[in-house]
Amino acid sequence: MTVAELSGAGTASRALAERLAGRVFQACAVVATATALAVVGVLGFETVLFFTEVSPARFFTEATWTPFSEEPRFGVLPLLAATAQITVGAAVFAVLPGVMTALYLHQYADARSATVVGTATSLLAGVPTVVYGYIALNFVTPALRAAWPEVEAFNGLSACLVVGLMILPTVVVLSREALESVPASLMEAGLALGATRDRVVVRVLIPAASRGIIGSVVLAMARAAGETMIVTLAAGNQARLTWNPLEGIRTLTAFIGQSSLGDAPSGTLHYRAFFAVGAVLFVVTYVMYAGGRRLLSRRDRDGAR
Amino acid sequence: MGLLRRHGPIGTACALAAGAVLVAFLLLIIVLLAEARPVVDAGFLVDAPSRFAARAGVGPALAGTLWIAFLTAAVAFPTGLGTAIFLEEYAPRTRLTGAIESAIANLAGVPSVVYGVVGLALFARGLGLGASIVAGSLTLAALALPTVIVVSASAIRAVPKGLRVAAHGLGATKWQVIRHQILPAAAPGVLTGCCLAFTRAMGEAAPLLVIGAAAFVTFAPGAPGDPLTSLPTQIFAWTARSQEDFSALAAGACVALLVVLLAMNLVALAVRHRLRGGKR
Repeated sequence: MTVAELSGAGTASRALAERLAGRVFQACAVVATATALAVVGVLGFETVLFFTEVSPARFFTEATWTPFSEEPRFGVLPLLAATAQITVGAAVFAVLPGVMTALYLHQYADARSATVVGTATSLLAGVPTVVYGYIALNFVTPALRAAWPEVEAFNGLSACLVVGLMILPTVVVLSREALESVPASLMEAGLALGATRDRVVVRVLIPAASRGIIGSVVLAMARAAGETMIVTLAAGNQARLTWNPLEGIRTLTAFIGQSSLGDAPSGTLHYRAFFAVGAVLFVVTYVMYAGGRRLLSRRDRDGAR
Repeated sequence: MGLLRRHGPIGTACALAAGAVLVAFLLLIIVLLAEARPVVDAGFLVDAPSRFAARAGVGPALAGTLWIAFLTAAVAFPTGLGTAIFLEEYAPRTRLTGAIESAIANLAGVPSVVYGVVGLALFARGLGLGASIVAGSLTLAALALPTVIVVSASAIRAVPKGLRVAAHGLGATKWQVIRHQILPAAAPGVLTGCCLAFTRAMGEAAPLLVIGAAAFVTFAPGAPGDPLTSLPTQIFAWTARSQEDFSALAAGACVALLVVLLAMNLVALAVRHRLRGGKR
């Protein structure tokens, strides 16, 4: 500390810096909170305006989505069903391999294999979804069509498979954390009682980690529901109510991502439809994400903190 | 089989699943490299998109992505870190603070395409920025902000209490403790988390498409107000054209994007290494 800093001038400027720092951080927090409120506010505002023209009852119960036709129909069910198909389908392909890979990394792998598989998993997590979309359209779909002639050029199955691959790292990483949070003493107790390792894994480890594993799957499914580029490129743009994975479908996200929204004039019903669909998507993913985070947080688990 | 004897039936099945993940990853990389090989040459990284696949390149898209990376980080990093410091060090521990923190954390799970819709209304239309680099960057900054806050807050929380108490005990003021103790100790964690948030944002195509990213920008953007173009949206445009030649271009752009993201991660890794004083 120099003499100048010890003098009164130094103290004054330090007090100023002190006050300034607090103000700057507070301003940051205000900006961040305002951004969050703006996201919700803009979505909510345009959605409310949308529902003054289209009745919510029809929006949620009708099965025809033709927003651009002469007499537009806004029945969101086909989009919702398509999103459900992708979300569940992706989970079907991702959950078993994901949890088993996590189990391998936690229980069975030696240090080197664990590093190799772990690195591949985190690199996979860093691949942008548009790259996955490219793979889905140019490689997975042709392969499916070669094996199965009735597969359409755009289909849910290809999208489900590749979205499954996209959410796989989420399942692996979070399930592994859930497995690692199980106390070693539990497993040791099982082994000491003479159970084989496989038996301890199935009867002790997995049940003890089940809450976290389910949480990891819910979080991964929330990501699948919000995924846009893979479904836009591979699943197509036909808004039809079907559960057949070989046909083309249009998800909530693909409707927003694919229609040239940039050209829609502000204030039109057509423009507001994007916000209504965005709001549905927001609510669905927010609930899933918050639920998944709750399951993963250790605080609620058996009262143990 | 040695694997079966060593791991038992369940362990063997798990090892096979892990092997499948590894194979999927390798296939992805090999397919992209093989497809991209015919188009990637010295000119590919600087040439502009063209109607003629043979002459097309990712020059403007690459420049756009670098611009967006810079602007997004310049907006989201200080705001996010500042918010995290405020929430952890200044804000009273009330229910409201807890609610704000939890709401911000859950916003990290909102799909990117939703941010695109909001960005269109707020930045492109509301502020009159149009489909520009800066409108895209602000949208991606809003997208990355919740993640930046969450990872920064958890890195700050992980700083040992003793450090704080000791510094305060020696007479340091709050700002001095933050500046000289907490921030240096939290820096590696903040950096790693933020790098993850930014590389994720850099790979986003959906929000930029919603704002109106152009598929055909023939000059490299030189200012924040220039038309919005980026590698992810360029990949989308070329993939959606579904012609053989353009598929190879899309693969080339995919490889370019992955290399850019990998480079960003490696730089962050090197900086983190230095922050820890060269220790491992």
